[in-house]
Amino acid sequence: MAKEIEEESCYVALTENNLDAQSTMDRVRSPKAGNFLNVYDAYVLMSSLGTTRDNFDGKPVKELQYTAYEPRALQSMLAICKYVKDKHSLTAISMVHRLGVVPIGEESILIAVSSPHRQAAWKAGEEALEECKEKVEVWKREEFGGDEEGVWRANRDGAAGVRIQRDEIEEEPARGPQGPILRRPRVGERGHGPVVHPKE
Amino acid sequence: MLYFASASSYTSKSSENLPAPLPLSKLFETLEERYDGIKAKVLESCLVTVNLEYVDVPEGAASGTVINEGDEVAIIPPVSSG
Repeated sequence: MAKEIEEESCYVALTENNLDAQSTMDRVRSPKAGNFLNVYDAYVLMSSLGTTRDNFDGKPVKELQYTAYEPRALQSMLAICKYVKDKHSLTAISMVHRLGVVPIGEESILIAVSSPHRQAAWKAGEEALEECKEKVEVWKREEFGGDEEGVWRANRDGAAGVRIQRDEIEEEPARGPQGPILRRPRVGERGHGPVVHPKE
Repeated sequence: MLYFASASSYTSKSSENLPAPLPLSKLFETLEERYDGIKAKVLESCLVTVNLEYVDVPEGAASGTVINEGDEVAIIPPVSSG
C-alpha cells in the first residue's frame, strides 16, 4: 500500500524513516513536480518534535512509538492540506508524519508550505500543524523500556497518558494543573473535542 | 474490526472478525460482551469508522445502519499525532 498521496499541489505521506526536511521543502518549491505552479515568494517549514513530558509518574520515557490507521490518516492529512491551501491561497503544501519508533526530541511531523505571501505561509503552516495534531489518525505511545507497558497519549486535553488495561481499577480522575479533571463531555461532543479555528 | 491505541491495548488485538450482519447500534454492546468494561473505559471516548468513513453510533433501538460482511470497522480513540 502506498503511504503517500499527491493531489492538487498537496502532498501527504507517512514514513517509518527519519524525516527529511530538504525533500519535504523541495515538494513545495520544485517546478519538476509539474502540476505545482512555480508561483511562490516565501516558503515555510514547520516541524513538531515528538513531544513528551519526558517522564510519567517519575519514570523516564525511553522513546515514542507511533501507529496509524494509515489509509484513514492519509485521507485526513490530504483533506487538511487542501483546506489550508485553499484558505490561505498557497502554492503548494506537503505534510509528512513519521511512524514507528521515534527517539525523544526527533521530529515527528514536517509540514512545508509555499505561498506568494510570507504571512499567509506562516499562518497556513501553523494551522496545518494544529489541524494535524487535532485530527489525523495517528497515536503516540510512551515507552519506558524493560517489561513495563507503554502509555497511550491523547492530544485532546494535553493531560498525561492513561494506561488502559483490562481488570484495572481506576476510579480516580486524572490530575490536572488545577486539580482533578472533572469536566464531562459536552452534549453533542463526539470524542475528539471541539474543533476551534482561531479568529484572525 | 480494527483496534488502535487504547482499544488495541484493551482487547490485546489489532484486528479481528465479528459475525455480520450487525446493526451499528449493537456494536458497542457486542464488544462489551467480549471485553468486559471496554465501553466505559475505551469506547465512550472513541469514534467509529465504517469503510474509512466516520459514522454516528446510534444508541438504543436496533435501527439504522447495518455493518455488512466485509465491511472494515475501526475504533478510533482520541488521536495523538505529532
